[in-house]
Amino acid sequence: MASVELTGLAKRFGAVEVIRGLDLSVADGSFCALLGPSGCGKSTMLRMVAGLESVSEGQIRIGDRDVTHVEPAKRGVAMVFQNYALYPHLTVAQNITFSMSLAGEPKAKQAEAATRVAKMLQLEPLLARRPAELSGGQRQRVAIGRALVRNPQVFLFDEPLSNLDALLRGQMRLELARLHADLGRTMVYVTHDQVEAMTLADKIVVLDKGKISQAGAPLDLYNAPANRFVAGFIGSPAMNFLPARANSDANGLQVTLGAATMTLPARATLAAERPVELGVRPEDVHLQNAGDGTLQGRVAVVEALGNTTFVHVDTEFGQVNVESDPALRLEAGANVGLSFEKNKVHVFDADGTTLPKL
Amino acid sequence: MNNTHATPARRFDLGATLLTLLTIIAAVIWFFPVYWGIVTSLRYDDQTVKDFALIPMEPTLKNYIFDIQNSNLPIWYLNSTIVSVGVTFLVVFMGACTGFAISQLNFPGRKALWWMILASFMVPVSALIVNHFIIIADIKLLNTHLGIILPMLIAPVTVIVYKQFFDGLPKEFREAAVMDGSTEFQLFFRVFLPMNWGVTTALAIITFIGAWNSFLWPFLAAQDEMMMTVTVGITAVQDTFGVAYGRVLAGAVLAGLPVATAYLLFQRRVTQAITLSAGIKG
Repeated sequence: MASVELTGLAKRFGAVEVIRGLDLSVADGSFCALLGPSGCGKSTMLRMVAGLESVSEGQIRIGDRDVTHVEPAKRGVAMVFQNYALYPHLTVAQNITFSMSLAGEPKAKQAEAATRVAKMLQLEPLLARRPAELSGGQRQRVAIGRALVRNPQVFLFDEPLSNLDALLRGQMRLELARLHADLGRTMVYVTHDQVEAMTLADKIVVLDKGKISQAGAPLDLYNAPANRFVAGFIGSPAMNFLPARANSDANGLQVTLGAATMTLPARATLAAERPVELGVRPEDVHLQNAGDGTLQGRVAVVEALGNTTFVHVDTEFGQVNVESDPALRLEAGANVGLSFEKNKVHVFDADGTTLPKL
Repeated sequence: MNNTHATPARRFDLGATLLTLLTIIAAVIWFFPVYWGIVTSLRYDDQTVKDFALIPMEPTLKNYIFDIQNSNLPIWYLNSTIVSVGVTFLVVFMGACTGFAISQLNFPGRKALWWMILASFMVPVSALIVNHFIIIADIKLLNTHLGIILPMLIAPVTVIVYKQFFDGLPKEFREAAVMDGSTEFQLFFRVFLPMNWGVTTALAIITFIGAWNSFLWPFLAAQDEMMMTVTVGITAVQDTFGVAYGRVLAGAVLAGLPVATAYLLFQRRVTQAITLSAGIKG
């Protein structure tokens, strides 16, 4: 068991800086998800921890060891790759025990390890098969088995579920969560899927252009995003953003949205009225009769999912997504009013940072 | 509905039938000399210029028995086998090693080596044959198996094919092995080479066929009849047997037999290898 500490980590490819002076602490035994859009540097960061990418600047510590310049195999980490990287010419058992075979471990010990790992991952009937004869989920489990057999201090996952269909992805998420609970090992998990990050991790690190945008517990990021980027990235469906103007007075924050005004809980005092952006999650917007509410609009699309309904409403500030009662029957083209849960409205300054509540 | 579908289908069939017929005619024209050589080798000497039937009236294996008993054919076979197996093993092994090094390792001069290999590919081996002869003569390797083998090891296409294949493998295979503690040798022998086994067998077969069929260099390097390969040896049969067509053609059939057998057994692999090299040659 070991923690992972990154200090002042930077990675440059020529003149391009992919990771910029990044500091991160992943506690021993925690499940940390690195979340961000394509090209944000999350995979590069994971590969640096694995030792597959050299470090331009900074330090990586795993447990009490500085592993910044240590060979990948000697860092006490194991990695599960996005495309599984299973050797097609080897059987499942041989794939699982490949590291032991390279180290010249006795065959009996390898067989014992393969059986033990296969039992954990329900792979026992498949040990003699080759990867081509396995389904996507089974291949994923073999890849995890190959990492497990090395008994690493830290598991690294590079978008391991992105090649699976939605149903299988859901199943594998549960299996990974169970595995983490059983092993209690530190796991670092790269994904661009915020649902995976929210459901699996106890800590999410949102990366944007090589820098940490925000790190914290999943619900902290959801309820109190540090900036517009995190607010927009976390949550599905995404948060609605509306341009407004704001000013402070004794009652709180006075916000002008088109012709309407509303008073929101107090934020840091603004010296003068200035443009801001409001962020409201679909579940915090409510449908009203036409003419009522803060904002008026016309229903564009209704997505009835059974357990909930999403109503996309065209307004003068763009489309607003509303999560509504599934029993509500609405037709496209209907005029509606919209109101907001004032306590749940996020306010972002012009530079994108959140104006925190006092 | 059926009629509208039937008309284009009939037209297509007619075109396909015509094409098939043309192909069959071309194949017959191509194969007839080979067939005639085989049937002539099965005729008695006095019948070779009298019996023009498509199937010999009195087939005999006399010419084959005579060739085997009265020439050095078994020794030529042995020489061809030693040379072809040696060339195949060395060309494929060295090609794989070099392809792996150029594709996967970082070392000074890697690019220069790659360009040299590409450049050498553009020089026909026959243009260098005099130099080869002088070098091999200087190091006293004429009339030896090694002397025949050495210049035949120049096969840049093998390196190019391997490099392309190793380049095409997802980098995760290498990285997964590195994380498992693999050395470069283990990576080559236990991951890259077995993963490209199909390419290796295809290249081995085509190299073997090429080495077995090669004539010019073995003809120059082996002047001693006991060191000749089959392809060179059968040219001596004519001198040995005068104008005995049956015996000459029996020798030719015997010389081509292993290659024809290899081709028939590994047809798909040979086609794959030719496609691979053709892709390189552009």
